[in-house]
Amino acid sequence: MNKYPLDRLAAFLIALLTAAVLAVTPVAAQQAVPEIVATQQAVIADLGAKTDELEKRVEANTGNDGRLADLRIELDVLAKDLLKAGVAFRPRLTEINTRLEPLGAAPAEGQPPEAELVAKERQALLSEKSQINVLIGEAETISLRVNRLIAEIAQMRRDLFANTLSKRYDIDYALLGEVVTDLTDELSRLYMTVAAWLKFVVQYKLSSVLAAAFFAVAGAVVLMIGGGRLFGSLLNVDPADPDPPYISRLSVAFWSTFLRSAAIAVFFLSTWFFFDYFDVLRGDIGAMLFALFVVLALVLFVNRLAHAVLSPRLPNWRLVEIEPRPARLLVWLITAMAIATGFDYLFGEVFRIRGAALALTVGESLAATVIVGILLILIATVKPFADAEGRPKAWPLLLRIAFYVVGAATVLAALLGFIGLAKFVSQQIVITGAILAMMYIGVLSGRAVAEEGAFAETALGRRLGGRWRVEEATFDQIGLATSILINLFVLFVGLPLILLQWGFQWGDIRAWAYSIATEIRVGTVSFSLIGIVTGIAVFAIGFFATRWFQGWLDDSVMTRGRVDAGVRNSIRTAVGYAGVALAGLIGISAAGIDLSNLALIAGALSLGIGFGLQNVVSNFVSGLILLAERPFKVGDWVVAGAVSGTVKKISVRATEIETFQRQTVIMPNSELINAAVGNWTHRNKLGRIEIGIGVAYGSDARKVHALLMEIASAHPMVLKNPEPSVAFLRFGDSSLDFEIRVFLSDVTNGVRVQNDIRFAILEAFAEHSVEIPYPHRTLIIGQDDLARATAPADAQGSPAQEGPKPAKIAAKPSSRRRRRASPDLDLEAEADDET
Amino acid sequence: MKKFLVMTAALVALTSQGNAASIVNNDSEARTVVVTEGSSQQELSLAGGESAEFCPNGCFVSLSGERETLLGTEQLEISGGKMRIR
Repeated sequence: MNKYPLDRLAAFLIALLTAAVLAVTPVAAQQAVPEIVATQQAVIADLGAKTDELEKRVEANTGNDGRLADLRIELDVLAKDLLKAGVAFRPRLTEINTRLEPLGAAPAEGQPPEAELVAKERQALLSEKSQINVLIGEAETISLRVNRLIAEIAQMRRDLFANTLSKRYDIDYALLGEVVTDLTDELSRLYMTVAAWLKFVVQYKLSSVLAAAFFAVAGAVVLMIGGGRLFGSLLNVDPADPDPPYISRLSVAFWSTFLRSAAIAVFFLSTWFFFDYFDVLRGDIGAMLFALFVVLALVLFVNRLAHAVLSPRLPNWRLVEIEPRPARLLVWLITAMAIATGFDYLFGEVFRIRGAALALTVGESLAATVIVGILLILIATVKPFADAEGRPKAWPLLLRIAFYVVGAATVLAALLGFIGLAKFVSQQIVITGAILAMMYIGVLSGRAVAEEGAFAETALGRRLGGRWRVEEATFDQIGLATSILINLFVLFVGLPLILLQWGFQWGDIRAWAYSIATEIRVGTVSFSLIGIVTGIAVFAIGFFATRWFQGWLDDSVMTRGRVDAGVRNSIRTAVGYAGVALAGLIGISAAGIDLSNLALIAGALSLGIGFGLQNVVSNFVSGLILLAERPFKVGDWVVAGAVSGTVKKISVRATEIETFQRQTVIMPNSELINAAVGNWTHRNKLGRIEIGIGVAYGSDARKVHALLMEIASAHPMVLKNPEPSVAFLRFGDSSLDFEIRVFLSDVTNGVRVQNDIRFAILEAFAEHSVEIPYPHRTLIIGQDDLARATAPADAQGSPAQEGPKPAKIAAKPSSRRRRRASPDLDLEAEADDET
Repeated sequence: MKKFLVMTAALVALTSQGNAASIVNNDSEARTVVVTEGSSQQELSLAGGESAEFCPNGCFVSLSGERETLLGTEQLEISGGKMRIR
C-alpha cells in the first residue's frame, strides 16, 4: 500500500528533473527560450513521464482486469492531454507564421544581402518554430505510445476473459483426495488462526469487543425501531384485505426489505467499524471477517427480498401472482442459491487471502457451481402458477427451457472442469437474476404508478393533495411523469449493474456513458446528449423567464404607466417572441450546435423556403406589421371581408376574431394587411346607427318627422352632439320612408338603442294612429277575373308611386285581395342582428 | 407556431456540425500529410484542389516538417506547401 505514493513521488521527481534539464539545455544554447516553449516543454515531459509510469503499471497488472480498465481511463485522459499540449502551441505558431510571411525567404546566393535586423529576426522566428515543431513531434510520439498501450490493454482484457472462461482443470478422483486432505489441513490451520484470534480478543480486547457489539446492536435496533415508527403505517399489512392496491403492496415490499436490510447492513458495518477502531482485527482475520459479513448481509437481503416479493404467508400481498405453496418453495430455493453463491465467494476469498492450494479453490467452486445449477433446475420444475381450474401450471415454456439449459450447462461445465465458466455462469444466474427481478419490480411499480388515479393514492400524492388543491388530471400527469422517471431510473441503474456482472468494468461503463452523453457520432455528424439536454433546459429557463418578464412588464410597468391597451399588447407580444427567439438561440448554442452551419443550410434552402413557406412567411411578416402599425387592438370591433366581430388575440401568424355568434375565426394576418379592414372602434367608439321606418301614404309627414325626432332625442344613450337627425328618405313603393340617424358614444350599444327606438316608434305611432303599411299584392286567377280586377283598381287610383308601375299583370297592388309578399320590406340599411 | 418551432428545431438538428476536421489542398500539385491518429500513423494524399474530412477525435498532422495538432473540428488548408488553420 505504501509503495504506491512513493512510486508517484519518484515519477514526479523524475518528471521534474527531466523538465528542468530540458528547460535548461536550450537556455544555455540560445540565451532566451520563448515562454510558451518552456512551459509546454515541461508539460510534455511530464506527460511522457506519466506514460512511462502507466506503461510500467500495465506490465505489472497484466492479470488484473479491473486495474487494466482503470489504467485505460487514465491513458485516455493522457491522450487528450497530449492533444491539448499540442494545440497550446497554435496561437504562437500562427503568430510566427504571420510574422515570417512579410520577411520572405532568405536571399539566395548572388542576390543582394538583406538587412541584418531582418536576417536576425527570421533566424529567431525560425529557430522558435523548429523548437515548437520538435516538441509537437515529441507529443506525437508519446501519443502514439499511449494509444498503442490502450489497444494493448483491450487485447489483454479480451484474452483474460477468454482464459478465465476456457481454462480447464482436471477433475478426477485424485482431485477429490487432494481436496479432502487440503481441506482438512486448511481447516485446521484456519481453526488455529481463529482460535488464536479469539484468545487474543478474550484476553486483551474483551471490553472493546463487547462495546463494539453493543454499539452495533444499538445502531441496528435504533434503525429498526425508528424506521418502524417512521414508516410503521407503510409496513402494517392487513391480512384480511382481499385486494390491496398494487402501490401499497409495492411500498410494503420495498420498505420491509429496505428497513430490515438497512438494519442488518448497519449492524455489520458498525461492527466492522468498531472492531477496526478498537484494533481488534489482526492480520487476515479482518479481510476474512469482511467477506463473511458481506456474504451474510447479501444472503439475508436476498431472503428478505424473496419474502417481500413472494410473500408466502399473505397471498394477497404478493407482488407476483404465484400460488402459496410454490411461493414458499421458491423462497427456500432462492435463499439456498444465495447461500451457495455466498459461500463460494466467502471460501474463494478466504482461500485467496490465505493462499490455499489451487485444488481447494477448484473443489470448492466445483461444489458451489454444481449446487447452483441443480437449484436452478429445481426452480424450473416448480409449478408456480395455477390455470383456470386451479391445477398447477409451470413457468412459461421459454423461461423453463432457459432455466433447464442454463442449469444443466452450469453443472456440465463444472463437471467437465471448466470451473471458470461454471463459476461465471452461476454468479450470473444469482446476481443477474436478482437484478433482473428488481428491474422487473421497478417496471411493475412504474406501471402501477401510471395507472389512473394511482398516484393520488400514494403517500406523496395524499400529502400533495392535502397541501394544495391538485386536480385529478394533474395527479394523473404527475403519475405518468413519475412512471417514466422510474423506468428511466430502472434502466440507468439496472443496466450498468448487469454490465458490471458480465465482466465489464466500472471504467468501461463510465467511459461509454461519458461518450454517449457527450458525443454520439453518426457519420461525420456528432451531437451530445448532455449538450442537447442542456440546450433544452436553457431554452425552458429562458422561456419561463420571458413569460415572467412579460407579465411583470404588463402588470406592473405598463398598467401603472397608463399605456394604451393596443401598445401594451404589441409590446407584450413582441417581447414574448423576442424572448422565445433569444432563448431558442441561446439554447441552440448551449446544445453545441453551430449556427454557422445553419446559415449555410438556410442559404441553400432559402429558395425552397421562399416557395414552400411563402404563405407562412407572408403571414409572419404581416403579423409583425400589425404589431407595429396597430390598425386594431384586442377588443376592437372589426369588419374584415365577410367576418365581423371582436378581435380576441393578435399573434404573429394569424389573428383571432370572435363573431357575435361566438364563432372564432382565425384570420391569417396577410388578409388583414392586404385587404381593407373596417374598425368600428379604432380611435374612439363613437358611431352612427340608422333606423329605417316607412309610414302609409296619407300620413302627416311633418308630424311623423317631429315624432321621430322627439323619440330619437329622448333616448338617454343618444348623443346631443352630433345631433340626431331624421331624414325623409324617399317615396317608397308602398310607404313614405324615413330614417332616424343617431350618434352613440359607444357604437357597440347600437343594437340596444335600435331596439329601444323601434319600440318607442311603435308605441308613438299607435298613440297618434300613424299607419305603417306593407306592400300589397293582388293575385288574379284566370282571364275573366283579369278584366274585372283591372277596371276597379284603375278607377280607385293607386297611390302615387316613384318607381315605374309594375309591368306584370298578374300581380298588382290592390286593397281588396291582400297577401303578404315579403315579411320585412324594412328599408334598414344596416345588418340587423349583430349581437 | 408550435409546428414552426418544431420545424426549426428539426432543421437545426439536421445542420448540427460535422465534427471531423477538414483539409483542403489549394495548391495545384498533390500534397501528402502524415496523420497520427490513435495508435496509427497514416499518409493522406491530396491532389491539387482536393479536400477531405479526417481525424474526428483529434490528431497530429505534419507536412514537410511542419506540425500541427488538431482537436477534430478545425479546417485546415494547404497553400504554397504550407498548412494553415482557417
